[in-house]
Amino acid sequence: MVLRSISIEDFRNHASTALEFDRGLTVVSGDNGEGKTNLLEAIGWVATLASFRGATTDTMINVASDSAVIRVMIEVGGREQTIEAQLNRRGRNRILVNKQPLRKTRDLLGTIRVTVFSPDDLSLVKGGPGERRRFLDETLSSLHLRHHADRADLDRVLRQRNTVLKQAAGRRGGDIDATLDVWDTKMVQVAERIATDREHLVECLSPVVEEVYRSLVEDSTRVQMNYRRSWTGELTAVLAEVRDEDIKRRVTTVGPHRDDLEIVLNGFASRTHASQGEQRTIALALRLASQRVITTTIGDEPIVLLDDVFSELDEQRTRALMDQLPAVQTILTTATGSIPEGVLSSLHYRVSNGLVEPDEAGRSA
Amino acid sequence: MASADCSAERKRYVYEAPVQDLIDELGKMPGIGPKSAQRIAFHLLKLPAQDALKLSHAIARAKELVRFCSRCFNVSAHDVCHLCADSRRDDGVLCVVEEPRDVVAIEKTQEFRGRYHVLQGCLNPIEGIGPEQLRVSELLARLEPENVTEVILSTNPNIEGEATAMYLGRLLRPLGITVTRIASGLPVGGDLEYADELTLGRALEHRRALD
Repeated sequence: MVLRSISIEDFRNHASTALEFDRGLTVVSGDNGEGKTNLLEAIGWVATLASFRGATTDTMINVASDSAVIRVMIEVGGREQTIEAQLNRRGRNRILVNKQPLRKTRDLLGTIRVTVFSPDDLSLVKGGPGERRRFLDETLSSLHLRHHADRADLDRVLRQRNTVLKQAAGRRGGDIDATLDVWDTKMVQVAERIATDREHLVECLSPVVEEVYRSLVEDSTRVQMNYRRSWTGELTAVLAEVRDEDIKRRVTTVGPHRDDLEIVLNGFASRTHASQGEQRTIALALRLASQRVITTTIGDEPIVLLDDVFSELDEQRTRALMDQLPAVQTILTTATGSIPEGVLSSLHYRVSNGLVEPDEAGRSA
Repeated sequence: MASADCSAERKRYVYEAPVQDLIDELGKMPGIGPKSAQRIAFHLLKLPAQDALKLSHAIARAKELVRFCSRCFNVSAHDVCHLCADSRRDDGVLCVVEEPRDVVAIEKTQEFRGRYHVLQGCLNPIEGIGPEQLRVSELLARLEPENVTEVILSTNPNIEGEATAMYLGRLLRPLGITVTRIASGLPVGGDLEYADELTLGRALEHRRALD
């Protein structure tokens, strides 16, 4: 799959922007706040139906407009396809593939796959468990379409269950217990599947992360990853045990939404014990490992989106990252003047104030 | 703050009060947004008076005459609906659905000759619908007098519908009644390649031996 071109309208600060992509590397440069990341965000949205910055649809639509449009042309097996996504402030988002509307936006998933590297990735290591769960879920959604639906189901069941817990107002009773029994059963079905899927993924990722980490730092650091469930044993029994607590606190206290991914560096928890530099390297290793696992499982390489990653890395890590990156279509954004040595691109754009134009001067030989 | 108030006021008084009232009322209908409400309102205003009145009479008459069947809670023009009154139907099998429109959907199949029970919704705590808001106690009260032997749970195959079916199943099974759930899977006459992967996945999960 190759991304040929994109045009976006009323998407964040881009009123109307169009650009073509190289089959190899495309570089987009510009000062901070001019709209480089917004371009990558638009590509990411068509791939995952969500913003990789965790933004809501509302915030992605230009304040002056009620809808934004992302149009991309891709090439699959030598044939061209156009995908048009309309993000609406009111009502559902709409997606057209080759001008034909899709019945469900979900059907687009799996058409385009991306791996995003961003300076925010540091929070994968440093941030709360939610960041790490999101990383696992994004990777899983690229691997199995079912996972995206499972996640949506879990969120829905949890919202319903938590509403019942609030309605209980601290007290147990016949109807509350009978209703909770039902939501517990629904939750267990989907929760077990999500936790098991995540555990399998961590098993696959763990050796790859260690291998990539070692080649990034050129030593033999031990990196282990463990998926930590927020419960042990049968979830049905555990939910019954914590029901009093859940009713008291009015939220569901155990489940996949409370799990964590533990990353251990030479025997110490990386979240608290690793240096900032080590944490950055782990984050890079996680993304690279995810890219590799998706490539080997699916047999098609995700497009690499590099969002201003070099500004945060020292020279040695930059070089190591460039060596580790697969030779696939890559779109790179960079603040003015921080393009690493050895980056060869045939297409170079400059972004300023939401306007994109070809940058002849920035083109390297 | 002040400017936001101003624009809200301006918006509200764009039309004369009776016109705006009509648009507001139409806009409360399911599936009708502000634009559609406006279009329907102006269509009604352009109609000859008698045609518009015909609509208002139809609404008033329906509200006056139509009520819910006292047995199955389907919509009915009489105390007992024509399905409950039909003596040719089988009393022993009860098909439980969420809404009156689901009765129509199942009737169209001409495959079911038993009786119905309309819950008038499904378990949905977010929308404030618990078992007490549904016609559940009325369902339980029908079982013995009508000698019901099987209940077919035909709620929608979404999260809330499945939860409702599960809830009812737990209430009914201890009473010694056969409880079944409608199957879900592939549309008849369709092509496998056009089925969405969740439906196809479910169809594989619930495959059966070929006889």
